[in-house]
Amino acid sequence: MTIHTPMSVLIVEDEVLLATELGFLVQEAGCRDVGHAMSSGEALALTGALHPDLVLVDVHLSDGPTGIDVTRRIVNDCHAVALFMTANVLRLPADFAGACGVIGKPYSEHVVRAALRYLEIALRTGMAPGLPPVGLQLAPAWAVRWGLAEMPLSA
Amino acid sequence: MTTSQPRPLATDSRPVSRDAAQLRTNDLERALAEKTTLLHEVDHRVKNNLQLISSLLLLQARRADDPTVKRALRSAQSRVNAVAIAHRRLFQGADPGLFDVSDCVRDMVGDAIGTSGRGDINVRLDLERADLPASQAAPLALLLGELLGNVIRHAFGVGEPGQLSVSTTTEDHFVRIEIADNGVGLSATESIAGFGGTIVKLMCRQLHAECETVDANPGVRSVIRLPL
Repeated sequence: MTIHTPMSVLIVEDEVLLATELGFLVQEAGCRDVGHAMSSGEALALTGALHPDLVLVDVHLSDGPTGIDVTRRIVNDCHAVALFMTANVLRLPADFAGACGVIGKPYSEHVVRAALRYLEIALRTGMAPGLPPVGLQLAPAWAVRWGLAEMPLSA
Repeated sequence: MTTSQPRPLATDSRPVSRDAAQLRTNDLERALAEKTTLLHEVDHRVKNNLQLISSLLLLQARRADDPTVKRALRSAQSRVNAVAIAHRRLFQGADPGLFDVSDCVRDMVGDAIGTSGRGDINVRLDLERADLPASQAAPLALLLGELLGNVIRHAFGVGEPGQLSVSTTTEDHFVRIEIADNGVGLSATESIAGFGGTIVKLMCRQLHAECETVDANPGVRSVIRLPL
């Protein structure tokens, strides 16, 4: 069995309790919890400094509803992969601001673990390991990139 | 946020001019847009707060040394999680006043199996769409959570694979939800005891539902009948 470097994950979330628990879940899923940002400024600074494999972003941050704009910059300027975690799934732009998908709040531990496992494989191999697990919705462009063009984007 | 009041229509019998009608339509559309924004804001806060409560209980469970305390916090969290699962899909469909029972069942089964780590339980779902009022989503999710949790905890011994079959069908005036396993059966295990059993009874009363659990030789079969 090949041993892979654990996926590094940055958490961008202004609710500190929520971010702390999410950090534990990230570690339990076999990933590295490399940092927590509360504002769009911190998110950009930490993404630039830490080069995480995946950035988990809430839409509402401590400086307002800046999560969508900051995701565009994380994707376009920092060339990182972002995933939204928000209660406002319907408010996301059609192109997901370049993010690879969204987990809707409230999420369960199981949804986060299953989504991280799925994304780790997709990011490492460039192919989706089947349909996304329940609770994870892929952005259309990323579904095509990972070979799911003709299939539904969520279970 | 302030809500602008629609202009009153003239109450006498003179015909309302086209301009006045247009102005009033504009007012009503603006008022509706404000209400919709407010509804989304409240929905967003409910979902975030459920996430926050769940995270608090999980964090406290991680800190607890006493296994009894840890178990109690985890079971409280799993019930909050059932309510959260019910809420996740609310306001996502075309009609915010309704939810689809089959979605709720699919989410609850997936989460119960996933959280248990029992990949050796084979799940068979046969789900027919049925819409119920959104107010019933949380009590139904709590009820399903207890029944599914009971199957996962008691039906199969450790390392013994099994099958869990869940179906939803609509009959004349009822939605019928069947949860069946091929495990050790009622005689070898206990029926839902303690607080879990109380939740089942209370949620059935609230939903005006019937719930029957019987020995199915092999395994156990629970049937919920919910009025449509």
